[in-house]
Amino acid sequence: MIPERPRDTSLDSTPTAQTRFTPPASIVWGMAIIGLGLLLHLSRELVLLLLLAAGLAYLLTPLVRIAESAAIRRDIAVTALFIALIVGLVATSYVLLPRLRSEFNTLYAGLPSLTERLDAALDAVQKEIGSEYPVAQRLFPDREVRYERLNAFIEQQSADLPNLVGHLATIAIAGVLIPFLSFFLLRDARKMIQFLMNRLPPAHIETSVAVSCEIERTIGRYIRGLAIDGMIIGTAAALGLWVLGVNYPLLLGAFSGLANVVPYLGPILGAGVATLVALIQFQSLAPLGKVLILYLFIKILDDVVLQPTIVGMAVHLHPILLLASVIVGGHSFGLIGMIVAVPTVTVLQETTKLLLERRRYRAGLQDPHPRTRVPVQSYIC
Amino acid sequence: MARLNWRAWATDQEQLDRLHLLEKVSLFSGLSRRQLGKLLVKLFEKAYQPGETIFLEGEPAKALFIVLHGRVSILHTGKEGEDPVATLTPGAYFGELALIDDLPRSATARADEPSALLILYKSHFDDLIEGHSTIAIRVMGNLLKALAGYVRAAHARRASPPATLADAPLPGETAQKSSDRSR
Repeated sequence: MIPERPRDTSLDSTPTAQTRFTPPASIVWGMAIIGLGLLLHLSRELVLLLLLAAGLAYLLTPLVRIAESAAIRRDIAVTALFIALIVGLVATSYVLLPRLRSEFNTLYAGLPSLTERLDAALDAVQKEIGSEYPVAQRLFPDREVRYERLNAFIEQQSADLPNLVGHLATIAIAGVLIPFLSFFLLRDARKMIQFLMNRLPPAHIETSVAVSCEIERTIGRYIRGLAIDGMIIGTAAALGLWVLGVNYPLLLGAFSGLANVVPYLGPILGAGVATLVALIQFQSLAPLGKVLILYLFIKILDDVVLQPTIVGMAVHLHPILLLASVIVGGHSFGLIGMIVAVPTVTVLQETTKLLLERRRYRAGLQDPHPRTRVPVQSYIC
Repeated sequence: MARLNWRAWATDQEQLDRLHLLEKVSLFSGLSRRQLGKLLVKLFEKAYQPGETIFLEGEPAKALFIVLHGRVSILHTGKEGEDPVATLTPGAYFGELALIDDLPRSATARADEPSALLILYKSHFDDLIEGHSTIAIRVMGNLLKALAGYVRAAHARRASPPATLADAPLPGETAQKSSDRSR
């Protein structure tokens, strides 16, 4: 039997302590969760900013830890790291930005004639398929019908473009605020944890440490893994597209790397955009096939080699739960919601597991891992 | 003009003090300063008031504790209440069984005076030893030595009068404390 923790009896001596109504813990917890959810919903833009800043902080934590393990002051380490990052970014921009900008300008200049070029490309591909397989010709719509559909689709998609341009200011502010917040989160993380630890009741300290460590392990590994994975995928896509002679390899590689952070949908989006560009450029089936094979190869490489070794076992979500969390995250918070959905649900799952384990212990049901138990010897000498 | 001591300026004194303390912890003996640094960043610190219970016998065990400041008592719950088995001072560790198995705490720990403890969570320790075989071998070796010492002391206690056996130090206990206990 587990002995009871010593109670603070000073409260019981007052007459009000005995008569005071205390609601059941489940109601208090339920109300607290609803209140927190409401608060998060009302301030979701700030929450997203904070989540992204925390993500950047997690990404950089191992570098700060290296300095901290050598007893170097954390504020100096964080400042030096951010200075190095800024210098690195400026140097990378100096090398890559002119090329990226020229690719972007060419792409932007060709946007007005996009429908015509896409229509011409589709026409050429249809003819190619038709000449090889005449039966397939019947499956394709008339040219006028196709052009109208295509025009309507592109108009519908470009209707959101002014909104996107309008959001550029917000994106620029976020671009400044995220590193700024991240700097302070990273610099003061230890103090914040220390503050919380010293205010937690001793009875909950081990579970709290366990929860905090699991959150750090899960999110840290996931975010760092995703960033490295995205960089490798982006580089592989850019190199592959450059070898195949597809236009805008840098832009498409960067897009593929960024899109890869969204589970399931990201790789499809990256391959889709690259295929579209290749279709307009080559107006033929063979290069299209090569681009698709390239993305298929990258996907297999990602699933078989990169994800297991880099992201590792950070995420233990069932595929259905993973997909559901991405859909719900996307519905609630858009693209960023899709990215943060997986680590958020993983953290909730791990926290629940730990709390349930504690509850099981308290109920007297011990040994939650009987399979890992080693038979006890009756002697030792 | 006094020359600025860059090394002292850039050093985190608090971390350095913890590092010096870790060097004295018997569980980590044989580890280099660099390896101790890797361990150091995994630790949490928590302050306890006198009389506060750190953990109770039978509770889930998830972490190892190292005494940074103050004094901690280890107690066994028997039929006649709590029986003190050890008093730990800075540099001593307790709750080490949490690093080995997932079974509940086998004793209660309580702060005797205002104390600060360093907490090493099991999963963090597992992560550390998975990636660093030298740390794993040294720490596990030290832990086994401590357990072997405990077993030998228990065997001897069964075979000889208690007065002479109390001198055998318990794991994580300094020789000084052991002699205090025997008195």
